[in-house]
This record gives sequence, structure tokens and C-alpha cells, in this order.
Amino acid sequence: MKDGLRQSMAWVHTWSGLLVCWLLLLVFMGGTAAYYKHEITFWMKPELHKAADAPSRVTPAESAALAVRELQQCAPKANAWFLDLPHERNPLIYASWTNPPKKGTTREERRAAFRTQNFTLDPMTGEHTAAPRDTRGGEFLYRLHFDLYYMSAIWGRWIVGIAAMFMLVAIVSGVITHKRIFKDFFTFRPKKGQRSWLDAHNATAVLALPFHLMITYTGLVTLMFMYMPSPTKALYGAEQNAMFADVFPNAERVKPAKQFAPLADIAPMLLQAERAWGQAPTRVVVSNPNDANARIELHRPSGQQLSNIEPTMTFDGASGALLSQAKPMSTTLDARGAIYGLHVAHFADSLLRALFFVCGLAGTAMVATGALLWGVKERQKYAKVVAQGGKVGFGVRLVDALNIGAIAGLPIAFAVYFWANRLLPVEIAQRTNLEANCFFIAWGLAALLAQIRPTRAMWRFQLTLGALLLAGIPVLNALTTDTHLGVSLFGGPALRAVAGFDIVVLLLGLLLGYAAWWLGRPKKPAAANKPVPADVSTNKLEAA
Amino acid sequence: MSALIVAGVALAYSGFAAKGLSMDRHYADIHGRGAEPDARLRLRLRLLGWLALALSFGACIAASGWHIGPVVWCGVLSLSAWSVTLLLRYAPRRAVQAAWIGVPALAVLVAFMA
Repeated sequence: MKDGLRQSMAWVHTWSGLLVCWLLLLVFMGGTAAYYKHEITFWMKPELHKAADAPSRVTPAESAALAVRELQQCAPKANAWFLDLPHERNPLIYASWTNPPKKGTTREERRAAFRTQNFTLDPMTGEHTAAPRDTRGGEFLYRLHFDLYYMSAIWGRWIVGIAAMFMLVAIVSGVITHKRIFKDFFTFRPKKGQRSWLDAHNATAVLALPFHLMITYTGLVTLMFMYMPSPTKALYGAEQNAMFADVFPNAERVKPAKQFAPLADIAPMLLQAERAWGQAPTRVVVSNPNDANARIELHRPSGQQLSNIEPTMTFDGASGALLSQAKPMSTTLDARGAIYGLHVAHFADSLLRALFFVCGLAGTAMVATGALLWGVKERQKYAKVVAQGGKVGFGVRLVDALNIGAIAGLPIAFAVYFWANRLLPVEIAQRTNLEANCFFIAWGLAALLAQIRPTRAMWRFQLTLGALLLAGIPVLNALTTDTHLGVSLFGGPALRAVAGFDIVVLLLGLLLGYAAWWLGRPKKPAAANKPVPADVSTNKLEAA
Repeated sequence: MSALIVAGVALAYSGFAAKGLSMDRHYADIHGRGAEPDARLRLRLRLLGWLALALSFGACIAASGWHIGPVVWCGVLSLSAWSVTLLLRYAPRRAVQAAWIGVPALAVLVAFMA
């Protein structure tokens, strides 16, 4: 270390960050959106909006009874029923089931069949809602942020995991190399070129450091059995599933007795669970319904603890007797649950969820400013060459182009995904895949155009396009559904999700629009000292 | 609940504003170039700053309990630190005036605890 610790860490920080920053932008944007994946999915199924309009006054027991009655007709011989009862973030009753596996069917066929084995009930009327369009909604964005797409999930997870490890290295080395971390704590000096980018990078990184460290580390922990398989391999060899069965508190699988027994009433069980937890369960799983060995499992809603593994109560489905409450978990497992839970933040109420979302945006801005900073610094080496009419080096051009494609191009892709949801014909085959394809076609085109002409004009073009597409979403929603902002703002509580979505994309669109305007604003003579490569994220920062 | 978290944000804002004011750069932004806080004022601002941050932690714990409260506090710290940063840049005098928000926020906290 002839350069000293700080200098060597600066090198590590620069290159570990730059190498993965464009992928991290995708991960950060997708993950940030995933905090609202239920709301996004609901927005993307406008057929359900009408049913959710009236405020729900139905008790969980009544909802469960409605769903069970329907399931008795649709799927009396199913393997298992899954019920999601209405609660704060879900206005409707969702029911789905799995059938006993038929011999000779492939996994894909079973999956395709499962996609059709469900229904949605309006808790007010007990009627089926209009069939929602086929979309993966927020689930696509959630999966995208760690599974990627167009490849097997395992590959995606390895790629994202390696990027996350680089990110962890970048965070730690960034803290070490930042010698004025406390002196510059509240410092932001705009309109000073590289100085401003560094300030913006520091402010988005340092002031949300607990979040950035937490989200990167916990993200790795969610997939720790994959990234660090040796301990379980040593203990269990190839029997990985045996380890999962040993470690995680699954309700024991009971085989059906193949003997009919009527299903006991669920209402008293729900009441018993509500008395024990102070909250009514919102998820019910019935295995082997209408069998002597039926089991009914109630899950406590999240919100009381960090851990994502919530306690359950299991009842005998034939007699209605309480069989077991989930065993108290080991401290180790509880710790892992809390670390996992911190990442997915199921416990967060609306206020905390908003804070997580804002921190996620800050993380996006941190990665974006970092990526831009590299270009700004590197470009200075070419100042003389450019002044004499020469060109910047290949590296600078490549990074500039990738920056445009990721920072300005990704918002376009997200917006196009939502536009596709409204504009693709509802009846078209393979609709979910088409929506995803639209996302990647838009992103691919943006990235390609950026590679062809990585100029300031391209920045402005893509930012403007992203702004128009995002800010246009509320208009699109008004034209294609009955739940425009005028309705959703004043409708039932469930429609707040629709209103919130419209407002947030509108604000993000305005933000991009401001960035595009900022790039094209007429230069004051005093400020026109050096052409500064363009960017967005100061504006993002200002809004955050 | 929410009132306590808002109080937590306000207290964290005051705390960070006090700490910001104890720094030469931001003090000079408000009191003119070259001005520096004297040692006693600096110490007082720092102590007040830490006190307000600790109270903000208390407000978050009171609002969300020991499990989730610390998580809320981290978010609250980020939010208020960004507010202080932007206000110190674009409206430094306002930033200092706004720091008094910690006083009514403390009253809210006390009212909830009592």
C-alpha cells in the first residue's frame, strides 16, 4: 500500500462501483418499486377497481365464509386452498387452489394450470369481480430486481448477487475514502461541476448510509443459502431440502386420509387467532379440504415484528380443534428472519413504507451520481484534446452512453411497461410476456440510441421522453379506465392505491422533465466556463 | 402514532440543524464570511444537537416500539438530514428559524409520554 489506505480505497471504490452501476440502477429501481408491488399490481388490474370502491365493512370471518362457499363449488377436491382476506393493503378476497398432481404433466403445465385456478371476490356483494387482465403487475418488477429476465432465475440471482457484493465493497470503501465525511455532512454546492456531483453523491450516500448498508447486506442474506452453500453442504450433502425442512418452521405435511369429512367452520378459529394476536389473520391455508385429515393454517398479519416469518396457528379441519401454535423459533432463525424481514419490509406501515421508498430513490440517485462522476472526472483528462477539436476516449464515450441508457433509459422502460399494461388488447395471448417484452424493447432501444449518439441532446431527448411517458400515465389511466384521479382521490380507501400510483408517477415525470429543462436551460455567461456532462440526479436529490 | 413520528422528524431536524450551525462553513453562511461560533456556543449547539437526536430516537421508539422504532428512526434521520442540507444551501436563515420546531415537537413527545 504505497499510496496509503485512502487512496487505495478510492481506487477500489471507483472501479467496484463503476463495474456494476448500470445493473445496480435496474436493481435499485425495481426494488424500490417493489415496496409498492401490491399497489402496482392493483393499479395494473383496473377491472378490480370498481369492486374495491366501496369501503369494506365485512369481517374476516364473513370474508372467509364467502370464499370457502365458492371454493366448495369450484374446487372441492383440491389439494390445498389459499385465501387472502381483505386488509389495509388489499380490498378484495383472493382465493386460489392447487389440484392433486396428475401423472405425466410437466412443471410448466402445472404452473400454467395454477395461473387459472383462482378467483377474486368482492367482499361487499360476495360476487366474483370482473376477471382481471392477465398481468404480473408489481410482481414482475419485484422478480426483475433479483431474478432478472430472459434467463433462469439461478443465473439472475448469481449476477445480481455478485453485483450486490461489489456494492457492499463500494459502500465500505466509499466510507473509508471519504475523508471529510463529517465536515461535509450537510454540504451541497450546486453549479460547481465536479464538486456538485461529488456533493450530491455524498449527500445521497452518507445521509442514507444505514439504509444503503442494510439493503445491500440484507439483500445478500435473503439468498445466503445460494451464495454460501458450503455449511449446509457439509452437514446435509446433497439433501438441501432436508435442511430446509429441519430449519424452517413449516406446518408438517399431512397426507389426505382419503375419507370424506365436512370442513369445520373457520369463523371460530379466526376469532381465536384474533384474540391471541390482537389482529385478525389475513391469510388462511386449507390443506386437504373435505378430508378427515384436513388442516387449516392461519397466519398472523405482518406489522408487529421485523421478522418475515410470522407465527401461525394450525387447526384440525374436521374437528375444528387447535392443534398447534408455531413453535418458538431459535434465536438464529429469528435473527435471519429479522434480517430478511428488513429487506422486504413487510412490517412497514404506510409512513415507514414511504420512507423506505424515498431511501430507495436516494440509493438510485447515489448510484447514478456515482456513475456520472466517473465520466466528469475522466473527461477532464481530455479537456485539452476536446478544446482542439479532438474526441474523448473510448472509455468515456462508452460510460456516457451506458449512463444515458440506464439513468434516462430505465425510466422510459418502466413507463412503457405501464403503458403496455393499458394499451395491449386484454384478450391477447401471452399477455404477461408481452408486457415484459415491451419493457425490454423500450430499454434496449434507449440503450442502443445512447450508444449511437451519447450526446447532451440524447440526454435531453431521453429525459424528455421519460418525463412525458411517466407524467402521461395519469392521463392514460383516465382515458382507459373509470378510476382517474378525480374518482380515485375521493373514492373508497382502496382506491387510494390507484391515486397514489398516479401521483407518484406524475411527480417522477415532473422530476425528469425538470432535469431535461435544466440541461437545456440557456447558459448564463458566468456559468459557461466549462461544458459539464449532463445529468439528472441533483434534481432527484433536490426533490428527495 | 403518526404525531409521534412527525415529532421525531422535527426533533431530528432540530438536532441536525444545531449540529450544522456549529460547523464553521454553515455558521459563516448565515452570519457572514469569516464568522465563527465561539467555543461555548459551539459546545452548546453540539450538545443540543445530540440531545434532540436522542429525543427523536425516543419518539420513534414510543411510536413504533423497540422492534420497528429503530428502523423508523434511520429513515427519519435521512429525511431530516436531507432537509437540513437543502435548507442550509437555499435558505440558510430559514433553516435556523425552522430549527425551533423541535420545541413544540418536544411538547408533543412529553404529552404522549405523560
